[in-house]
Amino acid sequence: MDNTMEKRTFWDKFDAFMMKDNTFILLVMGAAAAIFAGTYMFINLGTGAFNDLSIVAMLKDGMDGGDYAAAAGFAAGFLIARVLEGPLVGLMDIGGTLQTGVGIGIPALFLSMGWQFPFSSFPVALLVGAMIGLVMGGVIMLIRKAVPEGVAVGGTSIMMGAGNAIGRYLAPLIVVAATQYDVYAGIGAILGCAIFYKWGKELAGGAILGAMLFGGIFL
Amino acid sequence: MLEVIIYSIIIGAIGGGCIAAGAARMYYAPEVQAMGAFRTLGEMNACNGDPIAHFSFGLGFFFSSAASTVASGALSQDVLHRIIPNWSAAALLLKNKNMEETVWNPRKMMLAGAGVGAVVVTFMNTLAQLIPEKLSLIAQNVLTPATGWLLNPVMPAIFWLAAIDAGKTVGIWGTTLGGVSALITGNAVPGIVLGILIGKSAEENGYKSKVVQILIALVVVMFVAIAYFRGFFGKF
Repeated sequence: MDNTMEKRTFWDKFDAFMMKDNTFILLVMGAAAAIFAGTYMFINLGTGAFNDLSIVAMLKDGMDGGDYAAAAGFAAGFLIARVLEGPLVGLMDIGGTLQTGVGIGIPALFLSMGWQFPFSSFPVALLVGAMIGLVMGGVIMLIRKAVPEGVAVGGTSIMMGAGNAIGRYLAPLIVVAATQYDVYAGIGAILGCAIFYKWGKELAGGAILGAMLFGGIFL
Repeated sequence: MLEVIIYSIIIGAIGGGCIAAGAARMYYAPEVQAMGAFRTLGEMNACNGDPIAHFSFGLGFFFSSAASTVASGALSQDVLHRIIPNWSAAALLLKNKNMEETVWNPRKMMLAGAGVGAVVVTFMNTLAQLIPEKLSLIAQNVLTPATGWLLNPVMPAIFWLAAIDAGKTVGIWGTTLGGVSALITGNAVPGIVLGILIGKSAEENGYKSKVVQILIALVVVMFVAIAYFRGFFGKF
């Protein structure tokens, strides 16, 4: 009895900690460490970068040719914009700040300066990534604290409403994309969508499964 | 090979856990600072607590990311944006359908995300070539256009209409900044979101208030900086 009580309070405390505003800094540190280390892995072992082909290609061009300007310039723009936007809307975009900024832009910047140390070993890469995350998380929380109360209070409900509305569009868009791509994938998506609708399940899941299944069998 | 596996497990567990926790916090933004993306939020809402939907959405991107990894060693942004949050949600929802106790709980999402992340990242970096090319191809050709359209132009249109429906002040700011944002960055959503924030704050506090003035100054600086870095001024 005592044991379960203790356990519950521990999880309760953990839950409360995870909801704290400042815990955000720790989360950014962890994510940035992982993404930066992913880039370390890509540079040294050829796999593991957390970004799309076209963006990773910019870093690769730098590694091959020694000119990192494209990667650094492209990513720096994203990074600055997203770090400013993140605290204002309360939602930091991990694509722009972390995956492109920390994963591509900052490594490109370091390498263009000839600073190889962050990529000398895996633990070092993790640590450097965490430090970058600490700085970014700190800056975001500072901006958040600096912007006085009264911002976003009314705007949130509008944005959340819009955010919720977006979700409904996904299933029809998947069906349309499937029909445009291939007859069988299209038929599968339509059937999957219809069956999931009948079952009261979320349509997007049915559309994807149907397209993959029919496409996989008949294509 | 052993090196790749060990690194992948560490990276996947740390990154996956933090990203999934950040995603759970999205449901409490902006009271709590979250990380993720509006599109991730929209897509997770589309699956709306149905474990099969969350799983199959993640699965589609799992296939397309595997293709990208095999081809170039780039895992694609989808691993952190889509696969890990949605599979973590699916794993939690299998046991408990109550979203408030699962997907909205940062602690549970962090633990689930760490597990999912370790497995997915390790798989991608070692076994991605096992995924049949055909399935990757279908996933790419169906999901990439669908989510691309969702990102642009569906999301801008929805946010734009939401801004216009929220009154003249919000509508004008949303329209102006959304347009500027579309010109400079190619997507109107960031601008519309900031427009809604500025418009609503101006409506409530007036343009004389410090909040609104700081906001406007920040946004102007931001757009000028982005425009500079993206070479926008060279277009004239």
